[in-house]
Amino acid sequence: MAQQANHALPAGFQIDEYRIERQLSLGGFSIVYLALDGEGKRVAIKEYLPNSLALRGEGEITPTISAEHAGAFRYGMKCFFEEGRALAKLSHPNVVRVLNFFRANETVYMVMDYEEGATLQEYIQRRQKPVSENFVRNVFTRVLNGLREVHTHKLLHLDLKPSNIYLRDDGTPMLIDFGAARQTLALDTPMLKPMYTPGFASPEHYQRENLGPWSDIYSIGASMYACIALAAPQAADLRQDKDQTVPAMVRWEGKYSDQLLETIDWCLCLNHLYRPQSVFALQKALTEAPSKPAAKPKVEETRSWLGALVGKFKKNDTP
Amino acid sequence: MKFTIYQESRQGKRNNNEDRIAYCYSRDALLMVVADGMGGHYYGEIAAQIAVQCLSDAFQHEAKPMLADPFLFLQRSMTNAHHAILDFASDHNLKDSPRTTCVACIVQDNVAYWAHAGDSRLYLFRDGRVISQTRDHSRVRLLVEQGVITEAQVANHPERNKVYSCLGGIHAPEIEFSRKTPLEGGDVLLLATDGFWGTLPPDMLAVSLKQTNLLQAVPMLMNQAESRGGPYCDNVSVVAVRWEDSYVQLAQSSVSTQTMALDEVTTKLDEFGRNPAYKMDLSDDEIEKAIQEIRSTIDKYSPKK
Repeated sequence: MAQQANHALPAGFQIDEYRIERQLSLGGFSIVYLALDGEGKRVAIKEYLPNSLALRGEGEITPTISAEHAGAFRYGMKCFFEEGRALAKLSHPNVVRVLNFFRANETVYMVMDYEEGATLQEYIQRRQKPVSENFVRNVFTRVLNGLREVHTHKLLHLDLKPSNIYLRDDGTPMLIDFGAARQTLALDTPMLKPMYTPGFASPEHYQRENLGPWSDIYSIGASMYACIALAAPQAADLRQDKDQTVPAMVRWEGKYSDQLLETIDWCLCLNHLYRPQSVFALQKALTEAPSKPAAKPKVEETRSWLGALVGKFKKNDTP
Repeated sequence: MKFTIYQESRQGKRNNNEDRIAYCYSRDALLMVVADGMGGHYYGEIAAQIAVQCLSDAFQHEAKPMLADPFLFLQRSMTNAHHAILDFASDHNLKDSPRTTCVACIVQDNVAYWAHAGDSRLYLFRDGRVISQTRDHSRVRLLVEQGVITEAQVANHPERNKVYSCLGGIHAPEIEFSRKTPLEGGDVLLLATDGFWGTLPPDMLAVSLKQTNLLQAVPMLMNQAESRGGPYCDNVSVVAVRWEDSYVQLAQSSVSTQTMALDEVTTKLDEFGRNPAYKMDLSDDEIEKAIQEIRSTIDKYSPKK
């Protein structure tokens, strides 16, 4: 079935106590708007509108839901409620806060805090050069604070990636978009397609087995890798077939501390048992004092990564 | 008890779905039922519905949490279902009573007990092989056993749909019982109507269900049954369970009954007359309730407001 894009509500549209300013993003399951509340404060409003099940044409307000899809639409709504329930319980500076939840236009809306800033993805794209070691450590240690709170509530985020990490203008990160958190609850229900992002989803995402905190940790590792590589690592299912991802330790040795690079590779282990098993373990690694990048002779630059690896072993051999 | 269970019934290319399926479990016992209402007879789907309902109701009453005698239970409840169908026919002055096949299976104490009437089947798979299967109460099965026709001729035989035992017929049903069959961890029990087993050879089923996630594998097999069924595909219905060792770590999809109350029974049976695809998972009241709940959580956890 061809996927039609739904039309967003028009600017200035009044819904509940909010007035729509503009559309912020459009996803497969929802549309996010920037809006003003009754007191003129800016909020983000997420509208449940899966485009495979409900259609809103141009100029329309209430989406059309065919009888055939009514069941699935309501089922998806249940998932949207799960996201709301999950977020409502979390009150943490590094997790987006839910302010309100209401029903209108035959569907449901979630109102969230809006803050000035940009997603990590946008930040990297604009910057176009690898971020510093300190940046990675600072941002991700805080992201992990938020993630720890999520895991404490027996939830998994399951769709961590740079575009779901929001950097406020003051530089503090915040986890957004918990749309995939549903999977913990509805993993076995094949009615809605699972959501994951190739490159950031762990091997467990594909097998839909053994999902756990370590799966979110894989995505964190992939996000850190992407911040330095400026591109996502190879998708986990392809890696399992033929792993072409160059380990961080090999690719950037000398440019970042060994300890950071090893930590990234640790998170990106294909076998989930070899990864850090909890956010706490990873946080500990990230907050450890970095060793200075080893000063190295220039010739190493020209070597292939395999050569560098061999060289590394040689180096370790000599006392 | 630990197990993974999946059930689904599809209409195929027929005008209505006359198959009915259900499972129920208490802390210590599991019941699965598949009934195929007979076309050609009026109200086939009603007969099938009465059958699964009778067995589930009886299970809910008697499994507290174990059944005293599983075979006796199957015998009694299937006979009761037969009489209930006849009562329905006489209450509504039907010229001909509606009929249904029925296969039902109980698992308790790691032992499986099953019984059937008609040509809905039960298979037991272990390590990718068929360990046991029911014998259809059909004329073609008899002809094959007597050597009159070969296995290969069955698929196109004009009388392949005729069964000599069913619930709701003029004659009392001939109910055939299994032996007590101890289950091992990883065993798969599959109950299905002819729309499913008719197009998929048992060996292939055994292999494709070996160490897979039933929740994914069974729908895929049903897709295959539907495509092989062609433009006149019969109703396709399956209940399948994978029995788990009680000591292994629980897969996310499996059910553990360990924490269930002694008198608690979980039943999965679609209500009559509603196509499950149209079934609203949420009523308007439930939506309001969910929203209220989220709002109160927000108020509780939010320092502002």
